[in-house]
Amino acid sequence: MPRLFLLALALATAPALKGSLSLDTEFRTAGPAVREAFDFVQPRLQESSAVFQRGRKELIFGTVVSRDGHILTKASEMESLDGVSVVIGAETYEDPKLLATDPSWDVALVKIEAENLVPVDLSMTELPPQGTWLIANGATERDKRRVQVGVMAAKAREVFAAGGTVLGISLKEEEGVLIVEEVTEDSGAEAAGLQAGDRLVRFDGKKIEDRESLLEDLKERRAGDKVPVTLQRGEETFEVEVELSGRVDVFGEETTRNDMMSGEYSPRRTGFPRVLQHDIMGNRYFMGGPVFDLDGNCVGMNIARFSRCETYAIPAADLRSLVERMISQAGS
Amino acid sequence: MTHRSVFWLALLIPLAPLSAERPAINDKRAPQGREDLEEIQRLYQQALPAARAATVCIELGEGSGSGVVVSEDGLIMTAAHVTGGVDREFTVRFEDGRKVKAKSLGLNSENDAALAQIVEEGSYPHVPIEKTDRTRLGDWVFALGHSGGFDKARGSVARLGRLVRTANSTYQSDCNLIGGDSGGPLFDLTGALIGIHSRVGARLPENMHVPTRVFLENWDAMQGGEFIGEGPFAQMPKKGKGFLGLLAEAHDGEGIRVKRVGRESPAEAAGIREGDILLEMNGQPLTSRDDLQALLEEMAPEDKATFELVRDGKRQTLSLKLGDRDA
Repeated sequence: MPRLFLLALALATAPALKGSLSLDTEFRTAGPAVREAFDFVQPRLQESSAVFQRGRKELIFGTVVSRDGHILTKASEMESLDGVSVVIGAETYEDPKLLATDPSWDVALVKIEAENLVPVDLSMTELPPQGTWLIANGATERDKRRVQVGVMAAKAREVFAAGGTVLGISLKEEEGVLIVEEVTEDSGAEAAGLQAGDRLVRFDGKKIEDRESLLEDLKERRAGDKVPVTLQRGEETFEVEVELSGRVDVFGEETTRNDMMSGEYSPRRTGFPRVLQHDIMGNRYFMGGPVFDLDGNCVGMNIARFSRCETYAIPAADLRSLVERMISQAGS
Repeated sequence: MTHRSVFWLALLIPLAPLSAERPAINDKRAPQGREDLEEIQRLYQQALPAARAATVCIELGEGSGSGVVVSEDGLIMTAAHVTGGVDREFTVRFEDGRKVKAKSLGLNSENDAALAQIVEEGSYPHVPIEKTDRTRLGDWVFALGHSGGFDKARGSVARLGRLVRTANSTYQSDCNLIGGDSGGPLFDLTGALIGIHSRVGARLPENMHVPTRVFLENWDAMQGGEFIGEGPFAQMPKKGKGFLGLLAEAHDGEGIRVKRVGRESPAEAAGIREGDILLEMNGQPLTSRDDLQALLEEMAPEDKATFELVRDGKRQTLSLKLGDRDA
């Protein structure tokens, strides 16, 4: 990890700015006077964004994707739906049900009892160019969503899981055989029933040569991929399917200086098949909501606050196939 | 001769986009609805590609910062705390991944301004510098930079915002900066360079940039390789702090014999080996350990040392740059 240049000099700047001119907060980019110019897009946020809350506490936002109550949100921010209500427009809906989750996109499909909702239109196939204004849900009022603005900021791309993917085990190597030493809690390996002492034979049909070759294979995978792994336990040889996780999602990560200046970023912020990037200010609790352009077209759905200046959203076209797949999987 | 100058003039005309006027949208306290927003978007999108092409990542030692090319032959504007000193060699990466060598020129350590030059000959994408002092509080601006380091799939990160504070030696914007952005460019909506990213305050919207005006005030001195001021943004190498990293002893005969070479020292990096006989440093004869010591006491980190030496009976010359004793 290189040292990244940027000075944080709160003290040194005070005298340097003496006698300076300052713009009222109202007129700054995130200020009310500028936001007011975007009011004509606000109805789209009002109709099609959802707010998950427990009591008065806002947990995360969501995107309405069907007339009869399907909502997408960020899966890793959803602990339990017990006691959670969903606000759309000025209406409150109780008892949301979790229908499906997609670990590789970190998206959850939730259903509420509703009809005649206004879903986002996911027909946009090409992303707007960089520099296009984007609007997302900001802090909300009880009955009203509030616009938060920014622009398309970088190239759309796949963001690989930081540090690659993992099965969720620690390994020892004995006489050329890889043996499970420990199984990490809440990992794909634990869910698949791996145990300490199991010997690893094959990974995705390929004989495992050594630790390095296994790590190499894991690097090019996506979090959420399900991979067949052949094990030997005692005399028995059998195959299980293990869901891969991002390294940092299982083992955590070191906080960098950039992280320390980024406020509340999303704990799950890497490992997405495709994202667009924008500079709308916010924090981890602002994720899950729709992102619109000036025409009110849905450009995508916010999925991760990566840093102080970078937010990722899933592009509309990817969201569209994800919705179709998840709704058909959920069978309703 | 006359023909030639006419030819050059003709070439220069399309390279002068600075005639672009200060956009009228800046004179509105806030955009009034959709038309104004579309005007900002249109100007921004028009300016962005050229600005991107000239924005570079600076990889210097273990550090990563940003910079921007401002002349066809590769003059770079960046921050003093990124180059850190004069005559340092580093790698520059353009957004398309192309890598070239560069070296730092002068800097102003008091207000975080620095210049550097790409040393490989070529014709580089570059941006115009705003020199008419037309920039005002509240102007719409955009920042580019290699936030968090170079990422080819992502490119540099663009942010749109307003100038929220102006002072003599500092602009503040609400384009949020992060580590790796330092030295990167701040533009007005015509794509003219108005500042260089320097630092952030304690609160989120405090992002400071060095106005181009500050660069222009010391332009010739910086281009000439001068180290201006005594910090806080860069520290002048101190005399007596130069680090070579070898132990030598007198021996029977001319010069001094290298007894030990420190691991990862400048001496080791330059290829000096145990047993080498050092005859001269920078033209001064070495007859004892004290001679070498006395010469080093007059030198500072990054000073050049050239050795005449004998190895296996053959004479050779090796050059190196001294390290920092305190680093």
